[in-house]
Amino acid sequence: MREAVIVGACRTAVGKAQRGSLVHTRPDDMGGAVLKALVERVGVDPKEIEDVVMGCAMPEAEQGMNVARLCVHLGGLPNEISAMTVNRYCASGLQSIWQVQTSIVTGSIDAGIGGGTETMSMIPMGGNKIVPNIRLAHEFPQAYMSMGQTAENVAMRYGISREEQDQFAFESQNRAVAALERGDFKEQITPLRTFKYDGAGNKVEFVFDTDECPRASTLEALAKLKPAFANPKSGKENHGTVTAGNSSQMSDGAAAVMLMEAGKAKALGLKPIAKMHGFATAGLHPDEMGIGPALAVPKLMERFGKPLGITLADIDCMELNEAFASQSLYCIRGFEKEGLTRDRINPNGGAIALGHPLGCTGSKLTTQLLYWLRDHKKRWGIVTMCIGGGMGAAGLFENLDL
Amino acid sequence: MSGTKQTIRKAAVLGSGVMGMAIASHLAGCGIECLVLDIVPFDNMLSEKDRAKRDKGDKAVRNKMAQDALDKALKLTPPAPAFFTPVDAKLIKLGNFEDDFEKIGSCDWIIEVVVERMDIKKQVLAKVDKYRAPHSIISTNTSGLSVIKMVEDCSPEMRSHFMGTHFFNPVRFMKLLEIIPHPETKPELLAFVEQFCTERLGKGVVMAKDTPNFIANRIGVQSMFLTLQKMQELDYSITEVDAICGKPIGNASSAVFKTADLVGLDTLKHVAQTVYDHCPQDESRESFQSPAFLAKMVEKGWLGRKADSGFYKRGKGKDRFVLDWKTMEYKAEDSPSFPSLEKAEETKDPGKRLKALVASDDRAGRFAWAITSNSLVYVAHRIPEIADRVHDVDQAMCWGFNREIGPFASWDALGVRASVERMQKDGLSVPSNVLTMLEKGNESFYKEEAGVRYQYDLVNHTYLPIEEDKKVIILKKLPKQQKVASNDGGSLWDLGDGCLLFEMHTKMNAVDNETIAMQNQAMDLLDAGKYKALVLANNSKNFSVGANLMLVFMAVQNNSLDEVEKMAKAFQDANMRMKYSPAPVVAAPIGYTFGGGLELCLHSHRVVGAAETYCGLVEVGVGLIPAAGGTKEFILRFTEGVDMSNRPSLLPFLRNAFESIATAKVASSFGQAVEFGFFRHQDVMVPNAEYRIARAKEVALGLAAVGYDPGRPREDIPVIGESGTAAFMIAIDGMKDAGWASEHDQKIANKLAYIVGGGKRAEGQTITEQELLDLEREAFMSLLGEEKTLERIQYMLMNNKPLRN
Repeated sequence: MREAVIVGACRTAVGKAQRGSLVHTRPDDMGGAVLKALVERVGVDPKEIEDVVMGCAMPEAEQGMNVARLCVHLGGLPNEISAMTVNRYCASGLQSIWQVQTSIVTGSIDAGIGGGTETMSMIPMGGNKIVPNIRLAHEFPQAYMSMGQTAENVAMRYGISREEQDQFAFESQNRAVAALERGDFKEQITPLRTFKYDGAGNKVEFVFDTDECPRASTLEALAKLKPAFANPKSGKENHGTVTAGNSSQMSDGAAAVMLMEAGKAKALGLKPIAKMHGFATAGLHPDEMGIGPALAVPKLMERFGKPLGITLADIDCMELNEAFASQSLYCIRGFEKEGLTRDRINPNGGAIALGHPLGCTGSKLTTQLLYWLRDHKKRWGIVTMCIGGGMGAAGLFENLDL
Repeated sequence: MSGTKQTIRKAAVLGSGVMGMAIASHLAGCGIECLVLDIVPFDNMLSEKDRAKRDKGDKAVRNKMAQDALDKALKLTPPAPAFFTPVDAKLIKLGNFEDDFEKIGSCDWIIEVVVERMDIKKQVLAKVDKYRAPHSIISTNTSGLSVIKMVEDCSPEMRSHFMGTHFFNPVRFMKLLEIIPHPETKPELLAFVEQFCTERLGKGVVMAKDTPNFIANRIGVQSMFLTLQKMQELDYSITEVDAICGKPIGNASSAVFKTADLVGLDTLKHVAQTVYDHCPQDESRESFQSPAFLAKMVEKGWLGRKADSGFYKRGKGKDRFVLDWKTMEYKAEDSPSFPSLEKAEETKDPGKRLKALVASDDRAGRFAWAITSNSLVYVAHRIPEIADRVHDVDQAMCWGFNREIGPFASWDALGVRASVERMQKDGLSVPSNVLTMLEKGNESFYKEEAGVRYQYDLVNHTYLPIEEDKKVIILKKLPKQQKVASNDGGSLWDLGDGCLLFEMHTKMNAVDNETIAMQNQAMDLLDAGKYKALVLANNSKNFSVGANLMLVFMAVQNNSLDEVEKMAKAFQDANMRMKYSPAPVVAAPIGYTFGGGLELCLHSHRVVGAAETYCGLVEVGVGLIPAAGGTKEFILRFTEGVDMSNRPSLLPFLRNAFESIATAKVASSFGQAVEFGFFRHQDVMVPNAEYRIARAKEVALGLAAVGYDPGRPREDIPVIGESGTAAFMIAIDGMKDAGWASEHDQKIANKLAYIVGGGKRAEGQTITEQELLDLEREAFMSLLGEEKTLERIQYMLMNNKPLRN
């Protein structure tokens, strides 16, 4: 069977949606910029790339019309590169990498890029025009349940207290702030030359190269925040525990990972840095979508870990997307039982601190994971996330740059 | 002024304290651009970092005083929000005395509201003299300092444009404005300011003399301090005094101590001190001395509401405490009751109420007499010192202290001769002006002859006619022959000039079969060409609270749902008839304008309403949806002007309509109703509520004159279809999950979603107005079959507030 390897990965720094640095940066521009930067980093002739797959969770308006194809153009890449946009909500950016992996392994292509791009500044959650199916509205409205409510449900059903959630958020912020101070993300980030309109008719250009979401917080400050979604006086126990402080931050960003058939990489003199061994998804009731990783990860290990002779206890680093503290804590409880200790999960903090640009997240977390494994000379890593509508996804990676 | 008409488009407010910002907020709400300046912060007001920034010219730091004041004003919430709507703040520009003073040169009116110190005021006014435009009006909002002295060093030009304008806080709600002319003020400017403030700011203007504290505060504060004194002398408790000295004696219901807490004890003490210091001739000068316990309270910082403790103090939850002035300790608040007070409560007429109360020989009656008699004597002594006319004094006390009737009117109610005898028996020194009046055989301060009201002139001892403001239309005072028709629910009035008025006069002006009959009769008269235009209005505090729920409830109980449906249909039809009447219809709402009340406005061609109009379609509160065309009108209004040719999505617009009804959203002012899209931009806000009927008449006749065309019932209303319905259903499902909506809320909202979506239709299709009305009625009737809806109706009828079930 053909073998695919990862030869490069990079991402933009992540901006705070609505009021951050990337409010006026289009997703196609961000996507184009990371594609271009990745090709340059790897040092490959762009003509060698055959296909680009970009994840995007709300692919409409500024990121509509097959945004991946537009990213190719804006990245200055040749017309001969085909492109596709994939959407599995928050797993889109992981799905895209796996898509390229399978295309290579099955012989469709020899080299491709999987990535993701998302602007939450420009496209609201749910998109610009939410028009659900009337039948589902009557029979199964949970199919459209807001993410915040699912987080409340997880907290209520599995007894995850406000204090635990705040503590988790606090830890995430601390880890992220420490990583930023150490400069751990510097190398993986491609500085983005972009601009902002100042409102007085000027287009102000600048370079954006540092994640701007993390902020040192205190438990007291976190405890003071009001529930962001639910009414704490609804009478339901442990209701209204999810706040802006213990939820992921709305953000903007793009990331991309290049994969190549192993022989081709060798022929081109490129050093394989990692390998994606597997990918698994799972479905569950939409009203507690947050526990998706707890289902997807065991499936991943059963199908791909087992043949490699590894279990969760062997995983050196897991990037678990922190959509919400409540769902993260639920999933972590299960992983801990399988021997994956807390210090190996999100060692540099998670989405609560660093942001969660939906369709970009899978590629962004993969980039973070690969750099972490390389920097720490560790071998095995997992990227996993919950997915709106009631799903989970997980991908298994091996660092080859030991 | 070179022949241009004087007007005020832009004002400057100098000083951004509570009063300054409250004045600016109100001006902005009335459409006047406002420049607010204050000092550049002193060193001790800033951190070291900010001091450096200030010295480098950082505007944010230099304008900090005004900015902080604006932020604070924006945070004021009910019961006393400064702004009609926060959006009004856009008309306020901020600055500071050092960098921006020359900007007052572009202002038509400059109001000085700096700290109450003569030297500082003089300094600021000297600067105003330098930078003002020649045509500009300058006024000082002092509450006690001499207006004449303030400008003694200014140019004659400035003095001729100068006057005192004493606003009361909260400026939005307090009607009184005392204008204090300077001897040199141009008379035409005074007349202009009086008219401007009356019409454009909605104020009740009383001309006052340049005496300490002017009219209302001089009398009001004396009455308060007198009450403190009598309370100690006669040994009453604070709650006893408040029970007696509120509504029972014609005062505001906040009575004495709750009012004092609201105003602030330091302020009160200061105001009283002003009189003490500057009125050595005042025969009751000693009553302005603060009693020891008050001084102690100020010392302890128990300054009232702003300090969270004053005469009263709020505890946790519903705990309320009151001060025991003898021990200076707080104890649980009690509510004393007296037989005479219970009786007084039943009397609606404030004069008769007072008369009965002071005649009763219980604790309440005796105290009420002591306060009333002493106050009346004090007030009579003040003429002509602070005012020449009794009517001015009465109006000042009604508008400035929320009294139901002024002191002289209440004296009339007591019977002047009889009460003077009782006062003299008590040893009070009744002033000679009143005694002379009686000697001359004049028994009252007011009288009415041949439809003309007169007031007694205590200076020249003759009756003077009271000049009635023609812009104030009071229906019950109109000649009887102008009442065209009437039934239990409403009346039709001929306003003259071809204008008809439809008045509802049921309880809370609720809509019922009778009002609908009268509404139809009005339309008959219009259709017959007997009148050119129609005004919907009344003289009540509240326009209408909507449909008569009691009727609806009883009908359901009696199993006569078909009666309810008939009434709903009749109201819909009457509203449609009005909407498409070729003769213009103008609604003049005020106060509560809910449900059916608002639906009447929505089907009128224009709304010409009071600034203080509180409106919304609040039917979900009683488990229903608006079904007299309200839902339909919100759909139309929120999608008005959308050009469908490029197939835009109506979702965000209809979502606003849906949410406004589903959450029973209420606009808390006319301006906010326009902002929310309930009223239109071409609707007219009338700052002075008393003028709303006359204004509505003018607008109605104006529309008639220019040939108003209401169009034809719409048959092409674009819909969003079932997908839109689904979107609303999902939204409400989320609200339910999150604990913000109950299951019954959801049921109601889903029915609403169906209508707002346009029923069983797809985006791109259309619906007619009549079909929308049919959907409304269908939903309304089906909800009446719901147990929980009936529970809500019953609860509302019994408790006057909505039940969440």
